[in-house]
Amino acid sequence: MNTILVGLGNPILTDDGVGVKVAYEIEARLNGNRPKNLTITEASVGGLRLMELLEGYDRAIIVDAIQTRGENPPGTIYTLTLDDLRRVSPTQHSASAHDTSLVTALDAGQQLGMHLPQEIRLFAVEVENIIDFSEQPTPRVAAAIPQVVEMVLSALAHP
Amino acid sequence: MKRITIDPITRLEGHGKIEIFLDDDGNVANAYLQIPELRGFEQFSVGRPAEEMPRITNRICGVCPEAHHMAGTKALDALFQVQPNDTVRKIRELFYMAFYCTDHTVHFYALGGPDFVLGPDAPPAERNILGVIHKVGVDIGMQVINCRKRNHHVIQMLGGRGIHPVAGLPGGWSVAVNAEMRQEIEKIARENIEFAEFSLKLFDDVVLGNPDYVDLILSDIFTESTYYMGTVDANNQINFYDGKIRVVAPDGEELVQYEPKDYAKHIAERVEPWSYLKFPYLKDVGWKGFVDGKDSGVYQATPLSRLNASDGMPTPKAQEHYEKFYETLGSEKLPASRRYKPVHHRLATHWARLIELLYAAERMLELATDSEITNPDVRPVINTTPNEGIGSVEAPRGTLTHHYKTDENGILTKVNLIVGTTNNYAPIAMSIRKAAKGLIKNGKVTEGLLNTVEMAFRNYDPCMSCATHSLPGQMPLEVTIRNAKGEVIERLQQYVG
Repeated sequence: MNTILVGLGNPILTDDGVGVKVAYEIEARLNGNRPKNLTITEASVGGLRLMELLEGYDRAIIVDAIQTRGENPPGTIYTLTLDDLRRVSPTQHSASAHDTSLVTALDAGQQLGMHLPQEIRLFAVEVENIIDFSEQPTPRVAAAIPQVVEMVLSALAHP
Repeated sequence: MKRITIDPITRLEGHGKIEIFLDDDGNVANAYLQIPELRGFEQFSVGRPAEEMPRITNRICGVCPEAHHMAGTKALDALFQVQPNDTVRKIRELFYMAFYCTDHTVHFYALGGPDFVLGPDAPPAERNILGVIHKVGVDIGMQVINCRKRNHHVIQMLGGRGIHPVAGLPGGWSVAVNAEMRQEIEKIARENIEFAEFSLKLFDDVVLGNPDYVDLILSDIFTESTYYMGTVDANNQINFYDGKIRVVAPDGEELVQYEPKDYAKHIAERVEPWSYLKFPYLKDVGWKGFVDGKDSGVYQATPLSRLNASDGMPTPKAQEHYEKFYETLGSEKLPASRRYKPVHHRLATHWARLIELLYAAERMLELATDSEITNPDVRPVINTTPNEGIGSVEAPRGTLTHHYKTDENGILTKVNLIVGTTNNYAPIAMSIRKAAKGLIKNGKVTEGLLNTVEMAFRNYDPCMSCATHSLPGQMPLEVTIRNAKGEVIERLQQYVG
């Protein structure tokens, strides 16, 4: 099963780059023993371009930053499925900043017969600061990284 | 760890927030789109080697990393006082045309086009790329995806990396084009031309063939007579990669033409008490408020403004469409220069974008078949002492300028960026205000406000920088209406919890 791991976010925008840091950490942990059918990458894109990045893979794991309106403190880790994302936006709307939402993009890709992952899992970390430029995440977000790394490694080991 | 059943996940703060201010009578006084102000980029950059900037700045934004990479690379040319040779210039431009083909395609088919293909009154849930595919067919959807795919392939080949390119060097480019690559890119360019012509045909059939849409485009609610900015070549024709900045007046007369390095002589920024945005305006004309007309220094920098600021397109097919554009929209030629007077209808920006798509595709073919493109000499030796450099390109969303100062070791001491969307802050505010004025009378808000306001700002495709990759990846829109005392009297929302 071809798997892609995408660390999503802006690595120079404080906590926004948490997904990218997780992807690099996993690359380091695998220490050259990355399975042949696993691709690890990072990007700061969404919608259509993210969907296009997933083309040709059977499974995708995405790690991203998230800001909920709930009471969970920064560093809280969430696991989400596409259905969860769908529930956030039960109807699809065109007004994403520049193209469309990932869910809409995936639906479009599916309709067009593209080979897209059957399984998509998202790991998201509640973030605190995504406004200031910095390569260092805030302490609580930084503290969550090792746990996310373990969770993703475990997900990779148990499809 | 928690598993959430989702209370709306948003990064609403600043994103898609529109503030409308009413006067004592309950009519619209001011309006603006709130765009998040990312902080501390200058502090982040100062102290780093300047040559890292093309790779750092392309991280600012997940939407147009290629534009930042290119403006940054050109700023390094100036900083290290090294003129790229013709091959380097052509490879860079070739790369940049591929980027334009992806970016303009996605805007039309996923963002701007749905308003027309499905109709401005279609439910928001249908006005997206899925709706477009449903309406025009899977084949066309596939063409959109294939257009993006083949051009991303070119970006990856020439840029050294698929999404955030790394190939720019001071005075050079780290990737040379071999015969095989050239051949492949030539084929892709030909496919792009076909696709761009097809898209223009679609626009013709769906939009121009529908009198209601033509009326909508020509309607006063979507019309503002401002100044227009764009980069032009030596023949005053459009260029995305390089040239002089030209500004024309609402009546079409040239106001000024200047070297990008002189931007600070011509552009100033205005601060308003009710917004943290800085509104750029033309120094030579002066700030007269958020008004249009020849006496107001408000200008825009968009596909529409690039067409308006130029004398035409340098490629034959795009030029044909350029002429049709002005003739169809009722523009006359200026008696002296024989150039078309500007079109002020903001919704025509969508059409202008497709004409630019065709130009990018044709230019790509010219470059891909240029005998110099496969010259392997793309890395100059640098032995100068850096000091200060300014680089500029036309980003899809407007003129993009990077300005760096360094010490003698090339370590950054000052950084200033004017990003595409910034140019358009004032005209966006004006367009939103006008749309709102038509729908808010004496404190009463007419239905359809959200939709009309959305259309008004969408044609600018304002860049919300890093907003696009956040979950859930769609823009919640919130409109707040305040009375003369600043109290919130109404809040309209979609996709806000």
